[in-house]
Amino acid sequence: MRRNRKREYLRFGTVTKSFLACGCIAISGLGYVWQKNAIYRLGDDIKHREAALSSAQKRNAMLAAQLAHWQSPAELESRCQQYGLNLVAPKESQVVRLYEPGKEWDLQMANAPLPARPQTWPPSRNMQAKALARR
Amino acid sequence: MILAPQKGRALIVVGALASAFTALSFRLFDLHVLQHKELSALAQANREQVVHRQGRRGAILDVNGDLLANSLSVRIVTADGTVTGPQAGVIAEKLAPLLKVDVATLTQKLSSPSRYIRLNPRVKLDDDAVQRIRAMKLKGIYFEDQFVRSYPNGPLASHVIGFVDAEHKGVQGIEASMDEYLEGQAGYEVIERDRKGREIRALRSENLGPRDGYNVVLTIDQVIQHIAEQELEKAMARFRPQSAVIIVSRPKTGEILAMSSRPTFDPANLDASSPDARRNRCVSDVAEPGSTFKIVVCSGALNEGVVSLSDQFNCENGAFMYAGRVLHDAHPYGVLSVEEILFHSSNIGAAKVGLRLGPARLYEYIRRFGFGRKTGIALPGEVSGIAHPLSQWSGLSVTRIPMGHEIAVTPLQMIMAMNAIADGGTLMKPMVVKSVVDQDGTPVFQYQPQPVGQVIAPRTAQLMTVALRKVVSPEGTAPQAAVQNFDVAGKTGTAQKIENGQYVRKYYSSFIGYFPAANPQVSILVSLDDPTEGAYYGGSVAGPVFRAVAEKVAQYLGIEPQTQQAQVAQLS
Repeated sequence: MRRNRKREYLRFGTVTKSFLACGCIAISGLGYVWQKNAIYRLGDDIKHREAALSSAQKRNAMLAAQLAHWQSPAELESRCQQYGLNLVAPKESQVVRLYEPGKEWDLQMANAPLPARPQTWPPSRNMQAKALARR
Repeated sequence: MILAPQKGRALIVVGALASAFTALSFRLFDLHVLQHKELSALAQANREQVVHRQGRRGAILDVNGDLLANSLSVRIVTADGTVTGPQAGVIAEKLAPLLKVDVATLTQKLSSPSRYIRLNPRVKLDDDAVQRIRAMKLKGIYFEDQFVRSYPNGPLASHVIGFVDAEHKGVQGIEASMDEYLEGQAGYEVIERDRKGREIRALRSENLGPRDGYNVVLTIDQVIQHIAEQELEKAMARFRPQSAVIIVSRPKTGEILAMSSRPTFDPANLDASSPDARRNRCVSDVAEPGSTFKIVVCSGALNEGVVSLSDQFNCENGAFMYAGRVLHDAHPYGVLSVEEILFHSSNIGAAKVGLRLGPARLYEYIRRFGFGRKTGIALPGEVSGIAHPLSQWSGLSVTRIPMGHEIAVTPLQMIMAMNAIADGGTLMKPMVVKSVVDQDGTPVFQYQPQPVGQVIAPRTAQLMTVALRKVVSPEGTAPQAAVQNFDVAGKTGTAQKIENGQYVRKYYSSFIGYFPAANPQVSILVSLDDPTEGAYYGGSVAGPVFRAVAEKVAQYLGIEPQTQQAQVAQLS
């Protein structure tokens, strides 16, 4: 009889395993729901960002057209007249042209020996420290 | 203890419940198993929706990347006529002021039995108007996003840019010729909606996004285009011609920097213009070129070595009888050299040069310079002009064609021929599209200058330039085309118009020139059809317009004046 009664006691391990199994199932279920929610939430986020991007692109196109209109030569001219700026193109005598050296000069420079490096190159740590101290 | 009647009632209730559950079970079985396929498809169709998205049409940019045309997304109002029909009048009264349409027209639209009516296809609605319409909560009224084409510069370069139709397809100009690149690719999404009709983004099953169209970069410079159009407007006001054109190009590459025709139109307001005004006369109108065509016969004769610039011809004091017909000069001339024939623009002299060259070689040079065939510019509506084959020439043709009669050319063909002389004898294909780029500016296609062929030898081109420089000298036909500080080479043309097969006292006045003559950077063609006020000679009418455009273009492009060039040469 005693032996039989002993067998009726709940075993700690069994209970723990049952709880763990139930817990796993519950966590899986909750995790599934949480993930589903996250997917929907992220989907909504994507949707809003897509809408924002589309709206920004529309606005960008609109502003580009507006800017192009304001920058058009006809518009600039009419504004100059409207504000009485009296802007005129410079006369040829008012233009100073600076001439770049020609190709030959470039070639000469390319073939010329490079200027000699300073004796202490790269500068030593001491020299760097001295330079910093001087500052 | 249960009595017999009670037992009977209980059995009835149990039987009824059992029957009801059996019926329900059968119905469930029917819905879930027997009709599963059809009903699940129906349910899916209710939830799912295929949404088509239109790609944005690419923009058209000038050579500096300034915007000439782009597409804007605007909200339009649509209506379901089957819903709005009964209350059309009431709805129309509310919407008319916001949509800027009159009530009667709107009522008529709303009464239509169509399920899809666009109420404001042309009017751009601002956000405020959209909110106000939304607040009215009108049944059967919906909003839809739609692209409209915007031209920020208005009519500037409208003949080159062209326009699109209501379906956003290119109809004319670059909009039509580059339509396959400009047009975006439509995409689609398979989405599911919730009970309020909002998309559940997480359940989007297919997502093929639209691709925006490519941007087209032109060789047109909007500042030079503006200069050309401004001067053309002034010429229209001063000389009152029926029409006028200006083309500005780079002789070395064939790039078109500006191309303008009058009358013109605003691509954003097509209803206000006639189809005639929408024609690009630079490529689609032909006319006898007149004296500008003398460059072809003289180039040919010099290239073949049958004449030299100093060879002299008797210009018969203004009346030359050939094949039973008398040919006249505008002014009587005696003996003129080939150079003088060009800068005095003697018809008789040109005819005699033509006779010396011979019809076969003259025809060959006409073809070599590109007349009688399309130039191949990327603009629709270009015509070949008329250059009759040699077999159709009459005995007089060899004397008439050298002075620009019996042949019809487009302004574009004429400036390209002049460019060939300016560019050392190489005929270039005209370029109006520089590149096609994607939305990030990465080039998809890059167009390069394309030589068509060597028309005349470089030495001949140099000799022609020597002669053409004198055209703008005080003894030439176009001193008014001379540009200060620049050496200009050019040729005038004053061609009589033909009406009903007869020459009448109406003229095409033109001037084509390039500068600096020694190293041409820019060539300009100015042509006015039938100037009715003031003079009609090409030198007096088109010459001053050429000068005005040339001065401004030289300043804008920073072309070095020749006086400074000479100083630098001396210094070096």
